[in-house]
Amino acid sequence: MTSTLRGVAAAPGVARARIWRLPERGSDTAASGTEVGLSEAAERAATELEALRERLRSGGRGEESEIFGAQAMMAQDPELLDAAQRAIDQGRSANEAIRDAGEDAAATLAALDDELLAARAADVRDVAARIARILRGEQPPSLQQRSIAVALDLPPSITAELDPALLAGVALEAGSRTAHAAILSRALGIPAVVGARGLLDMAKDAQEIAVDGTTGEVFLDPDEDMLVEIERRTAAAGAQAAADEALHDRPLQTADGHRVMLAANIGQPEDSKRAIEGGAEGVGLFRTEFMFMGRATAPDEATQTGAYAKVLESFGERPVVIRLIDLGGDKDLPYLPLPHEENPFLGVRALRLADAGHEALLLTQLRAILAAGEHTGRQPWIMAPMVADLSDVYRLHELVAMAAFGRTLGVQPKVGIMVEIPSVALVAELVAPEVAFFSIGTNDLTQYLLAADRTNPGLAERQDPLHPAVLRAIARVVEGGHAAGIPVAVCGEMAGDPAGAMALTGLGVDELSMDAGAFGAVKRALASASLTDLRGAAEHALHAESAKDVRAMFESMLAPEREAVG
Amino acid sequence: MAETTIELRNPSGLHARPAATFVKAATGFKSDIRVTNLTRDADKSAAAKSMLGVLGLGVSHGHTIRITAEGEDADEAVKALREMVEAGLGEAIGG
Repeated sequence: MTSTLRGVAAAPGVARARIWRLPERGSDTAASGTEVGLSEAAERAATELEALRERLRSGGRGEESEIFGAQAMMAQDPELLDAAQRAIDQGRSANEAIRDAGEDAAATLAALDDELLAARAADVRDVAARIARILRGEQPPSLQQRSIAVALDLPPSITAELDPALLAGVALEAGSRTAHAAILSRALGIPAVVGARGLLDMAKDAQEIAVDGTTGEVFLDPDEDMLVEIERRTAAAGAQAAADEALHDRPLQTADGHRVMLAANIGQPEDSKRAIEGGAEGVGLFRTEFMFMGRATAPDEATQTGAYAKVLESFGERPVVIRLIDLGGDKDLPYLPLPHEENPFLGVRALRLADAGHEALLLTQLRAILAAGEHTGRQPWIMAPMVADLSDVYRLHELVAMAAFGRTLGVQPKVGIMVEIPSVALVAELVAPEVAFFSIGTNDLTQYLLAADRTNPGLAERQDPLHPAVLRAIARVVEGGHAAGIPVAVCGEMAGDPAGAMALTGLGVDELSMDAGAFGAVKRALASASLTDLRGAAEHALHAESAKDVRAMFESMLAPEREAVG
Repeated sequence: MAETTIELRNPSGLHARPAATFVKAATGFKSDIRVTNLTRDADKSAAAKSMLGVLGLGVSHGHTIRITAEGEDADEAVKALREMVEAGLGEAIGG
């Protein structure tokens, strides 16, 4: 039977192939009996990495090849090898010794208050794992036949080592759109789905997998019906690529010319380029968590200012919505010690940190955003997540005022909120006059409203934002926002889903913000119906029985490829 | 023993690429060469022939480093490395 899972669409296209699994971390028992010594293993690792570098360089991927040049040097690093040798002399196994030495060196780098250097930590771990693998006498992972790689995450060197002619796709349990494997997949033109929680568990006994890198869906052991569907999607994917190209220069609008602002969701400054090239009219959601992960101390004001300024600069006159950190008990950060919680998504997170002893963390971020606005002369849009009511809005304004204290602001920021807690949707008309904009986070709004945990794949079918109750909440927010004259955007995944985008447009949403990869599909969806029809359908949807019915209705309105292009 | 003190002017600091250039050059000498980041921690030094050691010093733009060498080619080593840092270790450093 087919099992389906939804992750993050990381590289478009559809593929079906056998599953290739990344070999597990070797155990010590595997190490016994090997004859290779530490220095020889390190030398071989360096040779492998040099060869990899050459292959990439001659393949015209000079930029990427640099990573492996640096890794080759790390593999021969005297301090790394000495540390490992000392541990071996003290009786540890070589396999463990090199891993620990790599872990120590990685920790030192990660602790540095320097983005670029902290990013090298993963490279060191990767090198140590490579040496350990050689010590165990194992061959580098390789593909024997056309396969789709299934793993928790794929380290850069392994991704580059796999034969691109045999790699048909990538499906990862962890990772983000900006993971190395995702970037490589886009470069190779193969589909990838990342962040598919529960994937490894579900794929345990599966043989075959299909990935749809456009929708973010993963199908394990697809059955006959599913195979037909995948065939159809594969054919459609080719036609769509051509259609998207044709739509590239057209704005996001309905068949009768009603314009909706098209914005991009980005996770780091480097994503700006792709968004701009795709035709984004702004950034609807700049997630800032990337700067806060995997480090020993919180990023300082200067580091943050640099990152925000970069994005403000790239987008020029176009608005950029910067979301304040959405961190909580689910993230284990050394500088943000939070007590264990049973339900971290309903706990002390984001704006709530301000009243839990971490006000300084938010103030630093706010000061950095204001400074970035000053440096670039651009107006930053500040968005706070986890706002429950009017009191939270006032607290937010207080924080912004505190951050601005002593600063003469040439450009005033726009302060708005993310609408994701159902309570704030219910009092939208009370809150709207006090903020500059609403942006609806449909992912969390849906999970909170429908009491369906997003992280539980078993509840996937109960998490469709096209549920009539979610649509009613959205309608209420739009009404409240428009009564106060503020724009209402949607920055959840619903905005990038064709049926979702149609429903939202019908409900009167002003802006749809999504990953740039979804631009083409959403433009096509809106172009297939008139605003009148979408309004009618949305009104009907508010009274539907289930999300399934609503989805079916909007999907039936989607024009086939050819008509939409013309 | 030879020694020199110099400010690093690479815009992104001593990150992977310039660090590799530096380490490769140091490895070409017989002397025992060590580097200290005076701006961050004057008590911590690293082997100049260790990529991880050099990266671990966390040398950012504007930091001052001390290079010391001990051995038969100590003077040449310090002189050569100083010149390389001054020239930007293969990166454009302006000015």
